[in-house]
Amino acid sequence: MSTTASSTASSTAIERRQISSSYLGEDFRLLSWLTTTDHKRIAVLYLVSITLFFFVGGTAAAFMRWNLISPDGMLRSDETYNRLFTMHGVIMVWFFLVPSIPVTLGNFCIPLMIGARDLAFPRINLLSWYLFVTAGMVVLYALFVGGVDVGWTFYPPLSTNYSNGYVLLAAIAIFVAGFSSIATGLNFIVTIHTLRAPGMTWTRLPVFVWSHYATSLLYVLATPVLAMTMVLLFFERLFRTGVFDARNGGDLLLFQHMFWFYSHPAVYIMILPGMGVVSEIIPCFSHKKLFGYDFVVWCSMAIAVIAFFVWGHHMFVSGQSLYASVVFSLMSYAVAVPSAIKVFNWIGTMHKGFIRFDAPMLYAIGFIGLFTSGGLTGLWLACLAADVHLSQTYFVVAHFHYVMVGGMVSAFFGGLHFWWPKITGRLYPEMWGRAAALIIFIGFNMTFAPQYILGYTGMPRRYASYPPQYQVLNVMSSAGASVLALGYLLPLFYLPWSLFRGPRSVANPWDATGLEWQTSSPPPTVNFYATPIVTWDPYDYKEPERQEQLDYHG
Amino acid sequence: MADSPPPTGSVLTVPPEFQYGSIFRQGEAAITGMWLFLAQECLFFGGLFLSWIYCRYWNIAGFDAGSADAQVWIGSINTGILVTSSFVYAMALACIQGGRVRFMTILLGVVAALGIAFLCLKGYEWHLDFADHTWVLDPDFKVKGALEGGAKLFWSFYWISTVLHAAHMTVGIGLVAYVIMCARQGRFSATYHTPVEVVGIYWSFVDVVWLILWPLIYLIGRAS
Amino acid sequence: MIFRIILLAVTWVVLMALAGGEFLISGIHMALPDRPLVLLPAGLMVLIVVLVFMRLPRAPLIARGFALVAIFWLILLLGLGSMDALTRNFWWVQGYGGR
Repeated sequence: MSTTASSTASSTAIERRQISSSYLGEDFRLLSWLTTTDHKRIAVLYLVSITLFFFVGGTAAAFMRWNLISPDGMLRSDETYNRLFTMHGVIMVWFFLVPSIPVTLGNFCIPLMIGARDLAFPRINLLSWYLFVTAGMVVLYALFVGGVDVGWTFYPPLSTNYSNGYVLLAAIAIFVAGFSSIATGLNFIVTIHTLRAPGMTWTRLPVFVWSHYATSLLYVLATPVLAMTMVLLFFERLFRTGVFDARNGGDLLLFQHMFWFYSHPAVYIMILPGMGVVSEIIPCFSHKKLFGYDFVVWCSMAIAVIAFFVWGHHMFVSGQSLYASVVFSLMSYAVAVPSAIKVFNWIGTMHKGFIRFDAPMLYAIGFIGLFTSGGLTGLWLACLAADVHLSQTYFVVAHFHYVMVGGMVSAFFGGLHFWWPKITGRLYPEMWGRAAALIIFIGFNMTFAPQYILGYTGMPRRYASYPPQYQVLNVMSSAGASVLALGYLLPLFYLPWSLFRGPRSVANPWDATGLEWQTSSPPPTVNFYATPIVTWDPYDYKEPERQEQLDYHG
Repeated sequence: MADSPPPTGSVLTVPPEFQYGSIFRQGEAAITGMWLFLAQECLFFGGLFLSWIYCRYWNIAGFDAGSADAQVWIGSINTGILVTSSFVYAMALACIQGGRVRFMTILLGVVAALGIAFLCLKGYEWHLDFADHTWVLDPDFKVKGALEGGAKLFWSFYWISTVLHAAHMTVGIGLVAYVIMCARQGRFSATYHTPVEVVGIYWSFVDVVWLILWPLIYLIGRAS
Repeated sequence: MIFRIILLAVTWVVLMALAGGEFLISGIHMALPDRPLVLLPAGLMVLIVVLVFMRLPRAPLIARGFALVAIFWLILLLGLGSMDALTRNFWWVQGYGGR
């Protein structure tokens, strides 16, 4: 092998050697992938699985938007519509958004970024994927044999006493998927504590790693409460134990408290990794040090902690205690502060930077705008009086889609493009990347901006039909959804194409500073042949031509 | 041969997994991971405790009336068994840290036996409870009248929490058996015994959960 | 080694005594809302098991941190969670006697 490479100095032979010495070329058999404990390969396994779930959930959304073109519902079946939005919610939340960035990009990059050879517990990492796949099979089975009609929140008494869907199977699937998250989070935290390379101090960790540390705390501390909620729901539905049943003296709101104790922090699980990705992309493509590193880091940790104090704002109109509502409302305002600080930091980073508009940067800039819109409308919903009017309307739907889809999914695609050369060793076609980013941004706003107005003017969510005065905005939203779908489908074609036809990538195609860019693309199985010793700060971007640039711009 | 402690010094040949710099760091990571897992377990059972607070707060008389029918003697004997098993496990850890592998193996056998005794008593208790018409779906449910709803909530809590705790016990017994097996293969010594330590932490945690469940189930409603 | 075994044995005796004490206290007649006081000895027992049997003081620094994190978040869950039940206001529907 080495003799051929040295004798024929042709580039193809060298490339072939690069590939065969990378984690991708280690072994090509399927079994070697299914039994791998390499964090990079598990990341790829996860990437394939969550892409599948993303398009299953997206298909359900497409049917929903199609149904809402007509005020009477194009599907002519409220029951089918209920099952569709439940399927969309369950799959998108637990099988795409919650795992999305951490299990793929996080799994791939965290050991590389801290200079480790693998995660602390590689076998638990593989176990996590198997749990995820098992849960996914169960939920897909449940959804295709008949579906669940209770919405992703599983509120009793509908879910416990009245629903005739496959609630038990869905509860089992969510329980198992939860332990997959816990395994990943536990692994990340222990890895970041114990496996940092020499010199990689806490203040030299990339913000991406810090964000994942915060996310992992949420995984580990919030998910078990969801698991217990699902256990109680399971017993309640199977044996009528009565804990959530007022007829026995149980309390419906207990379910909502326990559910949102998980599901509100889960909202931050669904945004913090995205913030981490954006904090990597923006300094790189602005070629400038991240503005206010300490603030970004501490805001991540503050969000992770305050996230647990605010869950009651989902229950303002549920009949919970007014005192509790006031406390939860105030805390919800407080959590906006660190989020806002981060937005200012990203903008501060771009200010007077040397900005390049490559596809990852377009996604990141889109993230800032869409996340800001989604975040600010969250403040309206945190306001007790406004929430009475807005809750259970399309305003809420638009609000969280701006954060989850406009924020997290944009960040996921941005990060995927950013690290694509590192993961695959190939460059994606830049023109297509930019086109998809723009189409997604435009399509997203076309889909969800009308929903703000729909909700503000009073259209309730979760209904298959609506009064005719809402039709214009609904048709606009559905039209936007088709543009959005086109944007999401494009990467499905050009990214796999680039696997075979894309130009080879050098180790550091973006001229970025992270440790992950110092090893080859794709990295070898051991990540680093020699353990790196870190002597520099993160985002150590030089600004060589600053004076010249300033002169040029006058 | 298997039972004799390996000669001192051979332990240094235990290689760490490839991502760790030393076996010491690897052990530290395992212990840290277990503590974090237990933090997770705390919140898992925390949800159950929150349901206890809600159910008892809204139905205080009925809930305690249900509790008065629980088999307090079996529950209390089980408490003693679990506390003792935790103590024996701590002794086993002291033995291996003093290099006495064989003592440790025997003590871990005692731990596993105590765990099985706990489960047997628990199974007998479940049998008595069934015969006592305390199963929530029993058409002839024991408590009638105004207190029935609260008593049913108590028994719901009882069944769910004891089943979950027994599941944790079963896992714990399996882990102890695994540690015994490894010890008999001569894998542990005074300097390398991380699995013994990690499983011990888990075992004592299951004990801790029972120390909370014991008053919640048996004692608080006992004298009502 | 000897000292450690003595410590463990003493701990076991203390734990059994506490368990016995807790059992006896629970037999005393108390008002129903006061009965959760029975949990106090149980809390002490948990503390002793965690400190002595689980050897928390000898665990790595960050593991000790995780133990505190668990306590903090448990208090958060139980405290904020029960806040609603403890302060809830009821508006009875006209003509309904209610609970």
